[in-house]
Amino acid sequence: MVKKQKVVILGNEKQNKHDLDAIHKLQEGLGKVDQFPVYTPDLEWFEKMVLTEKQNSRKKFVKELSLFLMIALFILSGIIVSFYQMPVVFILIQLITPIFIGYYTLTRFNKKVKINE
Amino acid sequence: MDPLIKSAKEGDHLAFAMLFKENYPFLVKYLMKITMNPDIAEELAQETMAKCIQKMHLYNGQSKFSTWLISIATNAYIDQCRKQKRENKWKGQEEVYRKLKWQFESRNEEWNDALEALGKLPVDVRVPIVLKHYYGYSYDEIGTWMKISSGTVKSRVHNGILAVRRELKLGEETEGRHTRKRKTK
Repeated sequence: MVKKQKVVILGNEKQNKHDLDAIHKLQEGLGKVDQFPVYTPDLEWFEKMVLTEKQNSRKKFVKELSLFLMIALFILSGIIVSFYQMPVVFILIQLITPIFIGYYTLTRFNKKVKINE
Repeated sequence: MDPLIKSAKEGDHLAFAMLFKENYPFLVKYLMKITMNPDIAEELAQETMAKCIQKMHLYNGQSKFSTWLISIATNAYIDQCRKQKRENKWKGQEEVYRKLKWQFESRNEEWNDALEALGKLPVDVRVPIVLKHYYGYSYDEIGTWMKISSGTVKSRVHNGILAVRRELKLGEETEGRHTRKRKTK
């Protein structure tokens, strides 16, 4: 029993040594990549990039917000009209919406789990 | 918190620019190691900086700014790979390290076989190996950035190192001996 354990430990030590050798070789190679010169643009370029990016994200925000408000207004007016003019449609919408949301969330969740697997 | 970061959080453009200029070489070199392609690395560095500007309000200063940049860059690269896979634009794994190899040759630098072995690994294995064994981040940190458990990171790193060992033919003798022993039993 003791002898068997020794064999296992020695085997593990050897495996670990080979692992360390592989890691060392990887570190050596990656270290060489670190020595490559990288062209860094000047400060002005970075400042311009920051300004452009901020402008772009502001534009995107305004665009998304207005789209959201338009859709919300459209849905809300549809619901109000159906509530006063066609109550049956209103009840149907109230029933279908939670079912659709539940189904959509479940399928999205399953898809995410599959991707992570 | 670093005064430069504080100013950047308050919306100072110059502070942002100075921060990026300071961290740019580090960021590009990290991306070069995981993408193994200098062109993609520069492209992703710009994407990372753009995301950083949008998410600056989320940076709490608990980790170094460079560490935060690495976490954003890692996600940007993984997202890009997923997108390419979805659009069926995925090029074979063999092509991944070709540009880096060419750059080694153009600098009269000897190509490292371990890098070739690393380039043959899938992205979700290559990235944690670089983060763990070159940058020294913990399994927990890597797991949080890659949105997987630390156990998964550990097993990916372990299997990745085994694959690199196989590619470098390290420890084949002992493995051969073990299998020979098993055969006789």
